[in-house]
Amino acid sequence: MATDTIITYARERFDHESAKRVMREKYLAKMIFAHAGGLWKAGPELQATLISCPNGETILLDLYDTPVRVDKQELLALSHQRWQEQMTAWLIDYTEMQQQR
Amino acid sequence: MTTGALLFAFNNERTDYVKLASWNAQRIRRFLEIPVAVVTDSADHPDLQAFDRVIVSEHGNSGARYFEDYGQSVTWHNTNRTDAYSLSPWQQTLVLDADYVVDSDSLKMVLASDQHFMCFRHAFDVSGSDNDFLMPTFGRYKFPMWWATVMVFCKSKRTELIFDMMSMVKQHWQHYRDIYAIEKSPYRNDYALSIALAMVNGHVLTIPSIPWNMASVLPKDRLVWNGSQWSVHFLDRNNNRRRVNLNGTDFHAMGKKNLEQALADHS
Repeated sequence: MATDTIITYARERFDHESAKRVMREKYLAKMIFAHAGGLWKAGPELQATLISCPNGETILLDLYDTPVRVDKQELLALSHQRWQEQMTAWLIDYTEMQQQR
Repeated sequence: MTTGALLFAFNNERTDYVKLASWNAQRIRRFLEIPVAVVTDSADHPDLQAFDRVIVSEHGNSGARYFEDYGQSVTWHNTNRTDAYSLSPWQQTLVLDADYVVDSDSLKMVLASDQHFMCFRHAFDVSGSDNDFLMPTFGRYKFPMWWATVMVFCKSKRTELIFDMMSMVKQHWQHYRDIYAIEKSPYRNDYALSIALAMVNGHVLTIPSIPWNMASVLPKDRLVWNGSQWSVHFLDRNNNRRRVNLNGTDFHAMGKKNLEQALADHS
């Protein structure tokens, strides 16, 4: 490899902004989960909606605006678990990314 | 219900798509835990043993398409994507381009959905540019574009209609090119799919799509794989060298040469 090429590659830097965007897209995809025949996105919006519903069975619109009958507690637990898992993984990934140069 | 992946792999003078597809088949089995079928005209390719099913088919009409990574026009056998419905041995099928790299189990969620047909509506460049390659519309009238790179479908009347419509658009490509005022002449599956989806949906554009954006690596950027992690090397707006890592993210490697080179460098 030519010296100029080696110098050029040595000057290469990690692009934090692009990495942050890729990471965001990655974890937003991982928030999606299937339950009771519907697709859901784990997160504060779904959890707040579920908390506002009475206990037991309730009918919610999934990501495709399809009404789905769900058990409130079951869906809330699934959403909460996925949200926690993925946010923790996101934080670990983000911390590692910050150390890249 | 049987579920599996279907890959199309028609080699041309520059790219060994069967080799790419066989490498990807292993990843599909590992991450998505589904069998993989390949549609190819290379019936005696040594890498065909990587697939659960081999469907030998002619490649249909071909065209020449300019590839930025090759710096020249090469033969493009990509017109029989419209036959995916009739060729698929599975009741629920995940159709992937041979150059769509599966690196996570995200698509499992799409397979668990009750939708008849899904594909990506939006793509983004991992290097952060707003490249024309990834425009969400096509033609002079800015018709919304859905990507045929990844399609998930169940066998149903509605899905059959979508593929029939795609075939119709392909057969009368010049006519639809005129209607949608598409400047470039080569037939493109993404356009045919978008037109077909709109027609089947009664031109109401609330079409169910995969609920996240497709990561894409453009042909101008260099891909490196170290066996566990991908990195993309590119020039930013100021022509400075930059890199970004892709870890656990599925992505569309739009530069076939780059993907082949990355795999060859590692092996």
